[in-house]
Amino acid sequence: MRFFLEKRVNTSSWGRVLVLSVAFLLVLFISWFFFLAAGIEPITAFQIVGEEIFLTKYGWQDLLVKMTPLMFTGLAVALAAQMRQWNIGAEGQFHIGTVAMTWFALHYDGKLPDGMLIVMLLIMAMIGGGLWGCIPGFLKARFGVNEIITSLLFNYIAAAWVDHLLFGAWRDPGTNNFPITKEFSEAAQLPLYGNTSIHAGLILAFIVVVIIAWVLWKTRLGFQIRLIGDNPDAARYAGVKIRTLTILVFAASGAIAGLAGFSEVAGIHYRLQQNISIGYGYTGIIVAWLARNHPLGVVLSAFFMSIVFVSAEVLQIEYGLPISVVYLYQGIILFTVLGSEIFTEYRLRITSIWLKQRLTKTGN
Amino acid sequence: MEFFIQFLIAAVGMGTPLLFATLGGVIGERAGVINLGMEGLMLVGALVAFVVMLNTGNYFYAVAAAAIASGIVSMIHGVVCLMLRASQIASGLALTFFGTGLSGFFGDKLTGATVEPLIRIPIPGLNAIPVLGPVLFNQDILVYFSYFCVVLLWWMLFKTRLGLNIRSMGESPEVCDSLGLSVLGYRFFAVVGGGMMIGIGGAYFPLALTPFWVDGITAGRGWIAVALVIFAFWDPIKALGGAYLFGIALALELRLQILGVDISPYFLKMIPYVLTILVLTLVTIRHNRLGIQVMPAALGNVFFRGEKN
Repeated sequence: MRFFLEKRVNTSSWGRVLVLSVAFLLVLFISWFFFLAAGIEPITAFQIVGEEIFLTKYGWQDLLVKMTPLMFTGLAVALAAQMRQWNIGAEGQFHIGTVAMTWFALHYDGKLPDGMLIVMLLIMAMIGGGLWGCIPGFLKARFGVNEIITSLLFNYIAAAWVDHLLFGAWRDPGTNNFPITKEFSEAAQLPLYGNTSIHAGLILAFIVVVIIAWVLWKTRLGFQIRLIGDNPDAARYAGVKIRTLTILVFAASGAIAGLAGFSEVAGIHYRLQQNISIGYGYTGIIVAWLARNHPLGVVLSAFFMSIVFVSAEVLQIEYGLPISVVYLYQGIILFTVLGSEIFTEYRLRITSIWLKQRLTKTGN
Repeated sequence: MEFFIQFLIAAVGMGTPLLFATLGGVIGERAGVINLGMEGLMLVGALVAFVVMLNTGNYFYAVAAAAIASGIVSMIHGVVCLMLRASQIASGLALTFFGTGLSGFFGDKLTGATVEPLIRIPIPGLNAIPVLGPVLFNQDILVYFSYFCVVLLWWMLFKTRLGLNIRSMGESPEVCDSLGLSVLGYRFFAVVGGGMMIGIGGAYFPLALTPFWVDGITAGRGWIAVALVIFAFWDPIKALGGAYLFGIALALELRLQILGVDISPYFLKMIPYVLTILVLTLVTIRHNRLGIQVMPAALGNVFFRGEKN
């Protein structure tokens, strides 16, 4: 008996749905063991999590609120990935976006006409994230430095910088020495939807999704980006300016990640503080991967990863599990999806020597 | 002078986990498999070493358990990217998530617990050498073990048939396959062996550097090690130099704080990361200029028999 894999000629999208469903079941199965390891009755845990998320109004709100930053960071990673570049620095770009907008808000809050401030904050967050994303992009384009390592290391630098500001110059003296800034005025806050915590950042995220999808598939620029991703040699031969585009895409990617920071600060916290991002930037990698770097797919996978975040929150409240359970799940999800993707691209064939011999005999 | 020697001693200590991790990365990448999961594997090693140390009080068990646990976790990476042919980069990132989550999940209740750190054992005779003696030969047992690993790995990679085969896997798996060598077998061996080394590097944190548990104890050192593998030209001996250079940078951060230099401690915290980016850039520029191809040619390639890459 021999097993071997045969490449599928065309991969059906149904196959992909099937594989993803199986991967999802696998994730549930694995978490069963982790619940047992943590001394939790798995079935009750699943039940509680399911009820809290899908059967309460608050659960749905939370899903949409958490989905917002994930859409931005997922898009950021996906855009870079369209030209086969790994931007795993979305976390840092997120942070620098918040730093840039906070700087502006601390200086100009109350000095600008109505409606002007929020737009400027948005632009500042994009500039901050974009510049931060530019650096690994430039190093890659100009010198060929591995962008995975540099973009990641910039996350640590950004986090240290935020701490430096929060424990230093920007700390609000009025708040018992907590590392938080002054609260921004109402002009710097995004409107909420009705009586919920869902804010306009979600709409902004959908707008960005549409823009990116349009750029990628309807413009010359997008065509060039995808061409570089598919075949850099062909792109070079066709005269595409790969270096310039690499920097540009990294800047755009960083700017989108910066928007995630903007929407979190202007939509939820209204100030700069620690732990605004609970790993949204890193999760963007998984969101993009699950979506196969497609902007529209990002919407679905951001929703899916949002379920993971909210589940972790419920588990934290109900069972006191640490929030790092999110990372554990992300690892398991990415592993199972990666491991099962082979079945959408290959077909498992089983041959047996015994069968073959019989067939040749009957042939004689 | 005394201060300087103390500084270098600290630098070697800081460099040791980086050294172990870099060596682990070198084995894997020589065989053609990138491991971006170093940070996660180090965290797994650190957690397991700490837990075993807490329960048995035996350093040997702690280190061995850390190595075994990281070996097992890196098997997932091996299965996913070698057998199931997924992207090595994505699988490595998954490994980082998984390891970070695992150590956070099971380490949550350990926060604040302490263990007895490793003691320094001077090597008689050698530790009398001025400067180098106290710096290199008045260290704990794991540091000595790291010297041994450097030599062993160098000898294994460059002087034995096994090493030649491993290096060939990273250069041209197709040729190896046609010679009847098992690409999967060698690569899997390298991934797991490398993972064990990385785990020992992680174990060094709770056993020697910070003898208590904090979440995210490795603080991004695994990523520095990923860069160090490139910096070290995939060579165990050069990994030694690279790891200590970064050890110096990390020790500098602490010393400057103690000396009361008027720089924000958060800026000092950035030093190792900035240095990594700087060094990586310089090394890449130099590679480009000299046109040298030290990187294993088939690094990151998915190999599958009967298929052209």
